[in-house]
Amino acid sequence: MLFPRVVVAGCGNSLFADDGYGPAVVEALQQVDLPDDVKVIDVGLGGPHFVFTLLDPEVTKRLIIVDCADFGAEPGTLARLRVEDLPPGAYRDAHSWDLAEPLQRLKDRIEITIIGCQPKRVSAPEFEMGLTEEVQAAIPKTVSYILKEIGVENGTALQDSGHLHEERRHGGDTRDDCPETRRAGDAGGTGETGAPADGSQTG
Amino acid sequence: MSKVIEISPTTRHEGHSKLVLKVDDQGIIERGDWLSITPVRGIERLAVGKTYEQVPKIASRVCGICPIAHTLAAVEAMEASMGVYIPDDAYLLRVILQCANRAHSIALHNILSLPDMYIPGTDVKINPFTPEEPVRSVAKRIQRIREIAQTIGEISGGECIHPSNPRIGGLYTNVTPRAKSKMYDLAKEGLALARDQMEFMIAVFRNFQKRDWSEVGGMQVAIPATLGYHNQGYMATDPVYGSSSLDADPKWDPARWNETRPWDWYMGEMEITDDYPNYPIGGTTPKGAKAWPQMEACTGVPLYDGQPVEVGPRARLAVFKGYDEKGTIGQQIARQMEYTDSFYKIIECLDALNTSASVLADEIPQGDGSLGWAANEAPRGSDVHLARVKDGRVQYFSMLVPTTWNFPTCSRALTGAPWQLAEVVMRGYDPCVSCATHMIVVDEDNRLVAEKLIQ
Repeated sequence: MLFPRVVVAGCGNSLFADDGYGPAVVEALQQVDLPDDVKVIDVGLGGPHFVFTLLDPEVTKRLIIVDCADFGAEPGTLARLRVEDLPPGAYRDAHSWDLAEPLQRLKDRIEITIIGCQPKRVSAPEFEMGLTEEVQAAIPKTVSYILKEIGVENGTALQDSGHLHEERRHGGDTRDDCPETRRAGDAGGTGETGAPADGSQTG
Repeated sequence: MSKVIEISPTTRHEGHSKLVLKVDDQGIIERGDWLSITPVRGIERLAVGKTYEQVPKIASRVCGICPIAHTLAAVEAMEASMGVYIPDDAYLLRVILQCANRAHSIALHNILSLPDMYIPGTDVKINPFTPEEPVRSVAKRIQRIREIAQTIGEISGGECIHPSNPRIGGLYTNVTPRAKSKMYDLAKEGLALARDQMEFMIAVFRNFQKRDWSEVGGMQVAIPATLGYHNQGYMATDPVYGSSSLDADPKWDPARWNETRPWDWYMGEMEITDDYPNYPIGGTTPKGAKAWPQMEACTGVPLYDGQPVEVGPRARLAVFKGYDEKGTIGQQIARQMEYTDSFYKIIECLDALNTSASVLADEIPQGDGSLGWAANEAPRGSDVHLARVKDGRVQYFSMLVPTTWNFPTCSRALTGAPWQLAEVVMRGYDPCVSCATHMIVVDEDNRLVAEKLIQ
């Protein structure tokens, strides 16, 4: 099967500044260990014809679409949208970007969630690479949200990811927070807060 | 006196384009202009100064339907400039990816062209989405072919939309023996389905060719025997894969390529004199509106040996296999003939593939600034990328995408057809007009109201 039970599709074009939010979230999610029945895909502009029209509702039960969407909020704000919230659009062009129609066909058979992020700037038709700071900062939140949606316990795994902001701490030595970590850190010389606390890595 | 009709936007293809048609009193096109109204974006400028690994990734984002062709052409243009020779097994996997993409694309195009055709022996047009037989089983077959092709593409290319496996010097990883068997099984299943589908499609197109009339938007029009004929010539670089400046016998020559401005090729300003509100979908442009193809066309007009040429499946078959059927139906049939070729080629490559061989070149020179080009035979025609790489950085990059070649050629092919069939002729080219992106917009109460095209 091309698509498993859960499909996360990051939509958008990374050449148009914040429109690259979907693919950027996919890139961050690919750093995380996910169950075998979850597939995370950077669909670029090809979502409707490469993915949405090829889903088999007998197999795929959950579709999460990650895309930027202008709903008039502060840049970087996330919104959870349903298919019903999408504007109506006629299915005139099977090759074209047509978010509404294939999803209308699927919505009663597959649980569809659209995670929209308010962009600050979409540069189209001019090319501009890289997300704005506000949208970049929304990525860790999106990743945690998606993990919760698909029921993955992420624990401390995300803290190791370079994409995510560390929690702020005010004063003191971080190693005092967890004596176990300190022992592991001292023995192995790593000293990182995110290292496994049982010291197994130091062997 | 000639009348002027405009169909905008054209439908059932990728991207945004329009047709401006000068027709006689019988509604026959005297001169037609088909032009892209998607703005040109500066990919060439964006690429300069980037590393050679970045540029193919950028190129693959230009379009939502041909990322595989653009990735392969850009990777190979870099390799051509730098003088990188890839291992045989990397080449085989790239060909597998290419053929899988082509098979998917033909199947998708079937859905787009079927609604213009009739169920043989009846006056009923085909609706690919109807739950009724015989169309239902055809639709299921199309979906299965697409699924098979995408799965093979995903295994060989890393990902099925924006392939992550191809890189400068070959590929990141070879496939496992198990993945190879999986692709083999899929290709054999695909081959049988593709043969049936090819025969079905050819029967449907031949049936259309034999008909006297077709119905469009409540109008009954005669189908001319020369629908879509032109005398512009063909350009193709390989029956299946492509060619590059590294080849011993390169099949494309930048010295024969030239580009002219839309100003010199398209019609001047004129007023729309006739409109047809019943034309699908949404009617033609209301009369009184102005059209100015010279100014509105967003792509240049590429010339090969001083003329626009046709690229695509018919061009490949005409140049390499002696195919000689002209017109829209000839073009559609040529496309169907590539169905089985794609799967045979996948099987042939899998037979030759050694899964334990290296797929990365031993040596990757960083480039001395010489011009390299690579042509990839994308589903809809030769996709030529040109590049200069010096010390690992791209100095020059340019893309000549297939539909840019086909715009002026198809414009000539419109002459002599009833205007109602102009879109049928256009769809025969399986056009892919680089697409812009859609966004959701809100009204003053911050409620979602419409989907807006950002151009």
